[in-house]
Amino acid sequence: METRPLGNTGHDSTVMTFGTIALNWLEQEGANQMVEHVLDYGVNHFDVAPTYGDAELKLEPKLRQHREEIFLGCKTGERDYEGAWQRLEQSLDRLGVEKIDLYQVHGLEYDEELDEITGDGGALEAFREAKAEGLIDYIGLTSHSRPSLILNAIDRIDDLESVMFPLNPVVAGKDDEEHDYEAVLRRANEENIGTLGIKAFAAESWPDTDELPERDRPFCNWYRPVCSPDAIRDRFDFAASQGLTSVVSAGDPKLVTMILEAAADYDGLDEAAQRSLIEAARHDDSPVPEQLHH
Amino acid sequence: MDIPRTVSVALADRPVEGSRCLEAGAGVGATTAGLVDAGASRVYAITNDRGHALSTRERVGDESGLSAAPNGKRSGAADRLAVLEADLRAIPLPDGSVDLITAHGLCNVLDPPALSRIVDELHRVAAPGSHLVVDDYDPLPNDAAVRDLFAVENAASELATGRSALTFYPSSVLRDLFVGKGWAFDRERTLLDPVPWTASHLSAHADAAASFAVNCPDVVGDLLAARAERLAAEIGNESVGRMYSLAFRFPT
Repeated sequence: METRPLGNTGHDSTVMTFGTIALNWLEQEGANQMVEHVLDYGVNHFDVAPTYGDAELKLEPKLRQHREEIFLGCKTGERDYEGAWQRLEQSLDRLGVEKIDLYQVHGLEYDEELDEITGDGGALEAFREAKAEGLIDYIGLTSHSRPSLILNAIDRIDDLESVMFPLNPVVAGKDDEEHDYEAVLRRANEENIGTLGIKAFAAESWPDTDELPERDRPFCNWYRPVCSPDAIRDRFDFAASQGLTSVVSAGDPKLVTMILEAAADYDGLDEAAQRSLIEAARHDDSPVPEQLHH
Repeated sequence: MDIPRTVSVALADRPVEGSRCLEAGAGVGATTAGLVDAGASRVYAITNDRGHALSTRERVGDESGLSAAPNGKRSGAADRLAVLEADLRAIPLPDGSVDLITAHGLCNVLDPPALSRIVDELHRVAAPGSHLVVDDYDPLPNDAAVRDLFAVENAASELATGRSALTFYPSSVLRDLFVGKGWAFDRERTLLDPVPWTASHLSAHADAAASFAVNCPDVVGDLLAARAERLAAEIGNESVGRMYSLAFRFPT
């Protein structure tokens, strides 16, 4: 599988990152098989978080066995110094590792959170101490929030080595600032910060729970994913062709093999084909009826 | 409104800023929006379809974005946009009055006689040194499922109006046609490959077939309308064919 430099870290990540939340939905034996399956394709970057059910615990046995083959990303949603330290120690313990390669601020959502994280007694103080002690190697950030907030975080966190954010043809087709994650990608690339793409496989929001109760959803993702092999391949190729370091696999284990296949076969996507996917998504989502043309 | 990539890529290497522009066949306003957004000093959006004229005015005219005119004056979209409900075979503009003409997805809805007359009119209103952008579709490959739907739409249109609704001209045909009128060919680029014919496109084409079918001899019309609807449902969506962009200069 193709690899790309993860910013300044010196690590070359595979073009697919395994989103280990998928392990949460499997029994231990299935989780072990899934990790072996993913490693068989050559994937070398795994991403986990303490909030992904028991994914850390399910990952632990195989992580112990294959630690050297895996660049491990983990996260904390804690915003203050104490909370971040506690959560880091808990993750090290649950994962059974001595070090996490990439430790990320998880799900940055509001300006005030950025103030807290970067301020005195904020989570980043804990991150930096842990880095000095050799418990983590690199500092990253993840966010589904406004691109302007992520850009702000890039400005304010000097030792940031990676950012994780949404990118797919639906988002790329929207011109407003709220969806301009391409600006984040450009800035990260300018500053040689690694980029990890999420929501690559998101098709649309789930219907209202009155219409489709949560228990009746056919996938465990927060959104309705695309699910045919061709659509998975299109979405992977799109995300990988935008210039991201790596595309994070979708959270539902039913989709993982299709994504692995797409990642293994990835061979670029020309610009006319990229536009074709943006255009298709734009019309699926269009408020204007009766469009004969593109 | 969001400007389609097809439009922004076709306009990217054209001098839109400060130009007097004519969008020939405004559709739902996508190219008009692209011209306004790229800083055109004036955009004449011409369409013979009242619904399209209204939707273009609503979607683009209300945009609050400001752009600079050549004199440095900044004005909003509404001040720079004129949506004209008119026949492109008789454009209500003087000779040599525009600097940039766009025909985005226009030619495929023109049969050869209409195309020929409109090419003459575009030539007439173009100022010396002006630019022309013609974006359209290559003919679809023989095995494309959507061909069947377009064939039914054309059959209904032929019976109802005596002319085809859709004609996909190869890029070489349109290039040679405009060059033959005196335009200098500048460049060709591929906008979409493949072209995504989505469920919403197919349903719009089925609706178009049904509206022609109303004016067909009754049994035939009903059959064609039903056939179009069934084809749209069966095909669902299909990505096939190529959309291209041609650019020309008018000699000074």
